[in-house]
Amino acid sequence: MVALSWRSPAGSDRRWLSRVLPLLVLLVLAALIALPSLSAFAGQAASGELFYYPCSSCHPVTMVPGTERPTRLLPNDFTGHKIVLVGHDKLGEDDVACLTCHDDPSRDPGKLKIAGGKLIDIKGDVSQVCYRCHSTQYKLWKAGDHGKGKPKCTAAGCHDPHTPGWIYAQPLQPFIGSGFQFRVLSQREAFSPLAPPAPAPAVDTPPWFRVIVVLGLVALGVQIVRLVLGRRKQ
Amino acid sequence: MAVALVTTPRPGVKHFIGIDFDFGALKNSGRRYWGFIAVLGTFIVLGGAAWLLYFTHGGSVMAMRDGSPWGLWFTNYMYYVGLAAGGLVVYASVHLFGAEQFRPLSRIAVLLAGVFVMMALLGIITDMERPWRAVWMLLTPNPTSPFVYTGSAAGIYMVICFVDLWILITGFGGEKLARRMTLIALPVAIYLHTTTAFVLSMNKSRELWHTAMMVPIFLSSAIASGIALLLISAYVLTKVTDIRFKPSMFRSLSTLLSTVMIIDLFLITVDVLSVFWPTSASSGHTLRFAEFLSGRYAWAFLPVLILGFGAFALLSRRKTRHLPAVQITASVMYVVAVLFKRYSLMAMGFSYTTLGQKLPIYFPSAAEVFLALGILAFGMLILTVGVKVLPMEVPEYEDAEVTSL
Ligand code: HEC
Ligand code: HEC
Ligand code: HEC
Repeated sequence: MVALSWRSPAGSDRRWLSRVLPLLVLLVLAALIALPSLSAFAGQAASGELFYYPCSSCHPVTMVPGTERPTRLLPNDFTGHKIVLVGHDKLGEDDVACLTCHDDPSRDPGKLKIAGGKLIDIKGDVSQVCYRCHSTQYKLWKAGDHGKGKPKCTAAGCHDPHTPGWIYAQPLQPFIGSGFQFRVLSQREAFSPLAPPAPAPAVDTPPWFRVIVVLGLVALGVQIVRLVLGRRKQ
Repeated sequence: MAVALVTTPRPGVKHFIGIDFDFGALKNSGRRYWGFIAVLGTFIVLGGAAWLLYFTHGGSVMAMRDGSPWGLWFTNYMYYVGLAAGGLVVYASVHLFGAEQFRPLSRIAVLLAGVFVMMALLGIITDMERPWRAVWMLLTPNPTSPFVYTGSAAGIYMVICFVDLWILITGFGGEKLARRMTLIALPVAIYLHTTTAFVLSMNKSRELWHTAMMVPIFLSSAIASGIALLLISAYVLTKVTDIRFKPSMFRSLSTLLSTVMIIDLFLITVDVLSVFWPTSASSGHTLRFAEFLSGRYAWAFLPVLILGFGAFALLSRRKTRHLPAVQITASVMYVVAVLFKRYSLMAMGFSYTTLGQKLPIYFPSAAEVFLALGILAFGMLILTVGVKVLPMEVPEYEDAEVTSL
């Protein structure tokens, strides 16, 4: 239809516009919806459903020492998850953070660590993972006050464990896809005193004053010595 | 004092405005007296040079900056005004409450008070950089600024002190006028200390100043440090002149001192507790106060408590508190403690900006230090000469009614 309008002679400009416009609007809308899920979190599941399950199709994975290459060929030359932690980045540097929740990738990271040093399956009751550190929130959720009626912390409509400030959204109905995430918690800054104000100009002590001060101090020294000596003579 | 007229036919005595100025005493004084005057003179010259620097270079030679707009001069203002209080308390207790044991001290007390307030005022005037602009403060005062009240109160108080000194020395108006002057001077003094405290307490933006507690704390530490200073001066007088005081007077003075001291310490402790108590402290309070208990200003604040309680402990030991050495040590400790307290009080407000930005610590510049020393030396000079030249000794059996001229 666009092509048709393109070819139509001048004078039917308005009809051409009225046909293209709805299409443009639709395109922009689609882009808007697609953007959030495409951008920062590409590669992470946004539905709350596991993308990589079962983990054992690749794990245990070991790497060729000193390289970023797995010791055996994985599907699609896969070399690692590109998961960026937000919020939970406080848990440690790089892989160390992953290991606070996951078991070692050279064993089965599909096992998650819960309180008491026990491991549970990733398909199990993963809310217990959060309980280790967020017991208050967990109890609120158990009591039904927090995340009303949701089956677990990481279900659709709830937290992404890797970017917990973001919420999994279910795929919108007419579209079929993996859904997207949106931010619910504002970015918080821990309290720290403000940076100091710009440094104040330095104190200016002109040379003549320094000379006077030195002379004065010498004179004072002489006078005080004489005072003290005079006392001794008495 | 008509008696002095008759009994001192010494050469060098000039009779002027009803007072016998004994200039002969200056001529007869020894080399060490003049040596001391020379030391003071050198400090005054250095202070003068520093003041000249203020005129020629303005604020850039001082360490006061946007974040800490008040400096050493303000510390000294609070301190000197406070030290002047002791004189008034002693003087008032003689003439108002009949505390006869302090009568021998009354002249030196009033002289001290006058000179210390004068030093406080000199601090303000020199800090102005263009002191002639003080006229504008008088002509167009800002009624919401506490400085207007404390500044004018200091001026009035200084005049009252010197008039009082004259009345005490000449005996003019007798005991009745002396009593009436006390009735004026006492409220003015309380007004002076109260308005000085207002300078801090009326700043809402600086949490630690913003407490009505500042007023009683100012009064109590003013009186305590003032009495301590008076005690020290009385000892110094007995060393450098032939004026003698009874040991019982020193005992009464140190009892008074320890009483006021413990009130002062009590107030500051209560204030610290109510500001710092976990459930009552706001974050600004805690932030600032932590600086004073364990942070960058601990060196200035902890001595207030250590020296203060130490001095009280010294004076409360029954076995030793009558010893001059103990009394002097305790007094010196308290005078120093109050100096630290003044600095801490000022620095508390300026440790963080009103936005919560941490500020570098304020330390006075060379020009400020030498100006302050110069002012101090000037005050000391007046005292040293005054003690020689003015009849400071209060006649033992002075009959006030007879001596009125
Ligand atoms: C397609 C293959 C594949 C699948 C399926 C897979 N992984 Fe991995 N995983 C890897 C590779 C490759 C690495 C990199 C190993 C390394 O760096 O030591 C890795 C590393 C990890 C790490 C450590 C993070 C890091 O960067 O070292 C964790 C945690 C992890 N995987 C969790 C899982 C979980 C949970 C599942 C199942 C839900 C899973 N993986 C499924 C390939 C896979
Ligand atoms: C706060 C604990 C926690 C941390 C830290 C954490 N994870 Fe996870 N991870 C989980 C939980 C819980 C799940 C299961 C999610 C679900 O049930 O929806 C999971 C799932 C996964 C999956 C499977 C996702 C899918 O869609 O199949 C992978 C891969 C993964 N994590 C890798 C990592 C890597 C890599 C890191 C470090 C960069 C990491 N995780 C850090 C808790 C954590
Ligand atoms: C090993 C401890 C630990 C575990 C397990 C853990 N968290 Fe956290 N969580 C943290 C820390 C640390 C922070 C960062 C706190 C901060 O920034 O003040 C945090 C922050 C958060 C936040 C706020 C994030 C933001 O952007 O402000 C949420 C929401 C959250 N976690 C949810 C979860 C959920 C859901 C789980 C279970 C999947 C979980 N956490 C498991 C330690 C943990």
